Amino acid sequence: MRDHTLNPFIKYLGRRFFFLLLTYFIALTIVFILPRAIPGNPLASILSRIFQTGQANPELLRSVERTLMEEFGLGKPWFVQYVEFITKALRGDLGTSISSYPKKTLELIIPVIPWTLILLIPSILIAWIIGNTLGAFAGYRRGSLVDRIALNTSLIIGQIPYYWLGMLLIFFLSVKLKIFPGQGGYTQGTIPNLSFSFLLDVLSHYILPSLSIIISALGGWAIGTRMLVVNELDSDYVSFSEHLGVKSKTIFGYVFRNSLLPQVTGLALSLGGALGGALITEIIFNYPGTGYLLFRALSTLDYPLIQGIFVILIASIYLANFFVDFIYAIIDPRIRLGQGES
Amino acid sequence: MFGTIFKPLFRNKKFIVAFSVFILIVLMGILGPILYPKDPTSFAGKMESPPSKEFPLGTDTYGGDLLAKLLNGIRTSLYIGFLTAVISMVIGLLIGSISAVKGGVVDDILMSFTNIVLTIPNILLAILVATYLKVRSAEVVAILLGVLGWPWFARAIRAQLLSLINREYVYLSRLAGYTDLQLAFEDLIPGIATYALMAFILFINGGILGEAGLSLIGLGPTKGVSLGIILQWAVLMEAVRRGLWWWFIPPGLIIVALTSSLLIVTTTMDEIFNPRLRER
Amino acid sequence: MGETILELRDTKAYYIIEKNFVRAVDGVSLEIKDEIIGIVGESGSGKSTLSNVMLMSIKRPLTFMGGSVKLYTNGNELELTNINREELQKKIWGRETSIIPQSAMNALMPTKRIRSYILDVMKSHFEEIDEKEIIEKAINRFEEIGISGEFINRYPFELSGGMKQRAVIAVATLLNPRLLIADEPTSALDVATQKMVLKTIKELKDKKIVKSIVFITHDIATVRQIADKMVVMYAGKIIEEGTTDEMVSEPLHPYTKGLLFSVVTPEPEVKRRGITYIPGTPPDLINPPPGCRFHPRCPERMEICDKEEPLLKNINQRRVACFLYEKR
Repeated sequence: MRDHTLNPFIKYLGRRFFFLLLTYFIALTIVFILPRAIPGNPLASILSRIFQTGQANPELLRSVERTLMEEFGLGKPWFVQYVEFITKALRGDLGTSISSYPKKTLELIIPVIPWTLILLIPSILIAWIIGNTLGAFAGYRRGSLVDRIALNTSLIIGQIPYYWLGMLLIFFLSVKLKIFPGQGGYTQGTIPNLSFSFLLDVLSHYILPSLSIIISALGGWAIGTRMLVVNELDSDYVSFSEHLGVKSKTIFGYVFRNSLLPQVTGLALSLGGALGGALITEIIFNYPGTGYLLFRALSTLDYPLIQGIFVILIASIYLANFFVDFIYAIIDPRIRLGQGES
Repeated sequence: MFGTIFKPLFRNKKFIVAFSVFILIVLMGILGPILYPKDPTSFAGKMESPPSKEFPLGTDTYGGDLLAKLLNGIRTSLYIGFLTAVISMVIGLLIGSISAVKGGVVDDILMSFTNIVLTIPNILLAILVATYLKVRSAEVVAILLGVLGWPWFARAIRAQLLSLINREYVYLSRLAGYTDLQLAFEDLIPGIATYALMAFILFINGGILGEAGLSLIGLGPTKGVSLGIILQWAVLMEAVRRGLWWWFIPPGLIIVALTSSLLIVTTTMDEIFNPRLRER
Repeated sequence: MGETILELRDTKAYYIIEKNFVRAVDGVSLEIKDEIIGIVGESGSGKSTLSNVMLMSIKRPLTFMGGSVKLYTNGNELELTNINREELQKKIWGRETSIIPQSAMNALMPTKRIRSYILDVMKSHFEEIDEKEIIEKAINRFEEIGISGEFINRYPFELSGGMKQRAVIAVATLLNPRLLIADEPTSALDVATQKMVLKTIKELKDKKIVKSIVFITHDIATVRQIADKMVVMYAGKIIEEGTTDEMVSEPLHPYTKGLLFSVVTPEPEVKRRGITYIPGTPPDLINPPPGCRFHPRCPERMEICDKEEPLLKNINQRRVACFLYEKR
């Protein structure tokens, strides 16, 4: 019964990997098709914009045009363009920025990525942990006053859009009460270094944007886990354990554990949305991350940079997704030992 | 039929409060611009003036009347939310029900497709597509959001239909020689109607929040005023850090009031229509 | 025969749903001795609720309305209705009493190895435990029950239906409880596995692992194979009680007769009379019929039946609640 032909753990991860790879290819393909499919050649519009600003000298302009023509492979058959695009993307060659010509887009993106990761990952993990714990306690005491208060506040807090919450935090805690700085990743004028005072400065700038992500994500997790716990409390193993005299604390542990398992997958699925949210939060806080770079790229219509940011962001989301799947497979024995996913 | 279904809802206090808040905001959006017929885009007088008798919600940097903007913004945002919901709903219903009814390979293909769309981060994709669209009407924004929002609903509808189809009375109807269409109208649609209604409401929320998010990045509708556009300009003009609270607080409050009232409407509906929850 | 283990006196437990009382257990008195006792009834007769009353495991919307539940432990007499749920869970359940639940398929904590679950059960009852000793004992119990002791290292989903059911029985009887309640333990199994599990349950008594077993089922044929005594429930009440042999050979209550004849049995006697069934459906427990609750379906009803309620009366060694047997 136990000797499987292929380790189900590997099989599961293989399937997930293949699925994510496929999805990534589709995402890349969309990134490839979009500028070519939309009427009105976006490249022409970029060039005309550069003409309009009139700052660039003709020589630079020609060199920009040449680079663009080459990188977008215009004039070649579409499948050649496609293959070139994919191979370049996989090699990490994401083209040349227009607004910061002749810098490569990757050079611009790499320095901002850590800022976004530092903002995003701890914040969503904290929100996940606090939200799930709250939801689990509310579900365990379902129907009680604590439950009703927790449920209703979570419902409403969950509806506050993170960007508006960010604005409120800036307005009240930074502008009015002057407790935290309200913009940037660090005090303007300082040069990033690893000194203690700089890290402290970064931390004080970090709190508000992080708080806005944590608070707005918390409610959703709490509500979800509460529902899962309420369902789980109805299951047969809970009643059996009670009647065997297993301690309530231990039973709560079982219920919590089994309710968290689907929430781990939920975490993977929510990453894309959370990243989108973080991008907008960064814009509101002028936080020097990927969102802010994207915002700049959007306002200068720097298409190669926009594309580059997307290729990287989507790849990181899928990597994170795969990582979460991996963790999930480790902690849920039903997957590790092969009983299919449900 | 609807009378008997919806009667218990109107005996629920939470539902009545939430529903009234929602209706109030809808009325603000529909009747507001008529009762307060100021042009939201023209220069109204003073710049950045706080709320006063003349401008109940103050003005922005360009002297725009913020109350007029808010009322028109509610209208646009509701319109976008509603349209988004219609689009997501139609796609989700089609894919979910075809998947459930046909089964087999069709089911496999449609569900893989659904999972792929579900896994592609849709905010990012919306941003990317919007980038390339130079003119974005409210409808374009709604289509963009609607086309990306349906996967979870399609999966849920498929699951619900599958459990319905396997129930005895549907089997009996089949035996009785019902056509697929009869089956759909008499046995299946009533089974998913309340669920679909709740999903529709959640889609409206998604549309409203999505529009605001896109607008904040600068990719909202290029013409007209929406709640998101008001917030976008508030951010661009640094209204928050300059303490112009009347600019960014009202649109956010409206968004929260609108989406949470709709959410409470759905959860109370769920409590009432889903008897499993009722006994708790 | 033997000592009394559990004694119910005039117990009532209703489900309160939207201000309505569903009278699931409505005045049941019963003495459980050192024996296997089968409780038979249709679904909705209140037999599963009765098992909750026996343990005083009362959870909303079920509400205990009155009566007495006495558990006799070694020399002690405990009135369970005076003990709160938390105390019951701590001191009684698992030690003095235990259950084999209705759906044993999902009764074991799904994401834990059985071994670690067993340790959790033990840690809940004893401050300090010797893990090695416990595991050794558990392995013995598994083997006693007829499944490999190696299974304790597995997750529940790695076991087949019958194995899982027996693993549940092993875990449920780790502490040698005096009273074991088995609620439809075989209904989800195929016939062959059913037989095996029934045998396992019977052996629990023969090997003196437990003192008495309450076996709850809708299937009278199963009870015949296992129970010394039989109790028939209808609409929240006991309507007949006696030794299995007597009840089968000479059922008194018309409902018992109907139940017996509705089963395909190997008895030539029953076979000759053919299979009958009981027309109608179990009554609405919110508004039970007046008088005898069975009268609307009873083939032998008399005038008095919808006016007065028959009491459970002793007839020789048996008890029956029917006017047919009352001297008037």
